Amino acid sequence: MKLNFVPVLSYFDSLLAGLWWTIVLAVSAGIICVFGGILIATFINYTNRIVSAPLRFFIWLFMGTPLLLQLWLLYHGWAQLNILLPAMFIGIFGLGLHYAAYNADVYRAALQTISHGQYEAARSLGFGHLRTIFLIIIPQAMYRSIPQFGNNLIIMVKDTSILSIIGISEMVLAAQYAISVTYRPFEFYITVALIFYAINLILESLLNLYEKKSAIKL
Amino acid sequence: MDYQLMYDITPLLLKAAWVTLKVSFWSFWLGLIVSSILVATRLSGILPLVWLSRVYVSFIRGTPFFVQILVMYYGTPAFGIELDAYNAGIIAIGFNIGAYMSEAMRGSILAVDHGQNEAARSLGFSRFSTFLYVVLPQAAGLMIRSVGVLTVIMIKGSSLVSIISVVELTYQAQRIIGSTYKPLEVFTVAAVFYLIIIYGVRYIIDWSYDHYTRYLH
Repeated sequence: MKLNFVPVLSYFDSLLAGLWWTIVLAVSAGIICVFGGILIATFINYTNRIVSAPLRFFIWLFMGTPLLLQLWLLYHGWAQLNILLPAMFIGIFGLGLHYAAYNADVYRAALQTISHGQYEAARSLGFGHLRTIFLIIIPQAMYRSIPQFGNNLIIMVKDTSILSIIGISEMVLAAQYAISVTYRPFEFYITVALIFYAINLILESLLNLYEKKSAIKL
Repeated sequence: MDYQLMYDITPLLLKAAWVTLKVSFWSFWLGLIVSSILVATRLSGILPLVWLSRVYVSFIRGTPFFVQILVMYYGTPAFGIELDAYNAGIIAIGFNIGAYMSEAMRGSILAVDHGQNEAARSLGFSRFSTFLYVVLPQAAGLMIRSVGVLTVIMIKGSSLVSIISVVELTYQAQRIIGSTYKPLEVFTVAAVFYLIIIYGVRYIIDWSYDHYTRYLH
């Protein structure tokens, strides 16, 4: 069988429309996973056990089960409880919360590397407890965990493709529609893979650029 | 919650969990073979091989695993290769995790101090036996950790072969939901199985790391 990329060209518009939704998903889930991760880690570190124990359990649970299972559970589970949510909402929050658990783990490690002297110095300069945490500790830890956040973000962008299974019409689902008409699976999937590869290379080079710049600053 | 249902489906999901373990086991070994080849070519110093290995690793790491499975199952018949879902799943996972493992292994090998290499060479070891008897045993401790983390990720990723209808844990759970429509109960049981597998594997990795490095500190 010969490869034929002409059908891919004629369906390229729908792939691009899918690409748009991939970007929307990646950006919104990316925001949730970064800020969610920071929030969870901060709460775990600075609150009592009643608040932190459920959050620890959340991290343990989300890091111990596959993303696919979590998405299915969110997708069907809410419907069983008679709460109907749009697939887009579930997709963004499912993906965002999954990686928020990973980011929280990264961020907790970063918080531990901030020397306690920073806290003491700020307190002796007259900062309150909360102001010290929010103005001194959190920004420093954030700065240190950006490379890891970037890595997780790259992994997350690739995982947006999984959201096609709950019916979000991103790139893979657009390809699947086209395949059901043209029956050219290899050509379409490899094109999708190449587009993802291009996105990845761009993100990676941005991250490298950032790391180089921040290395000068430090 | 329908506890009776949860009890009833446990044997079915146990069987499916066994399939998940089997898929993970075989793709782990395939991944080790693939990554060993990649590391060997990458460190060989022969330029075309180095480039080939780099391109492979970068492409596999830059494209979604989900799409790789789809290509492996639906795309290969275009070249006259017919794989059943189970084998296509194992090959897709193995080739994917091999690329990640090769980076982890290469990092561990390069982390061994270069003086070790030079010392062994000046004592008359050949290049190959330097690697085998001096560098590799020191790198192996680091490898257990980094490859272990990847193995845990791989086991979670193996749930994705459910989309090409391999009857493993996630697929079986979906099938049961298709007939009962009790997603919360079924997925809870499936999640418990995953948690047992994943934290079990993590325990084994930590144990082997401690065991291997017990004389190092």
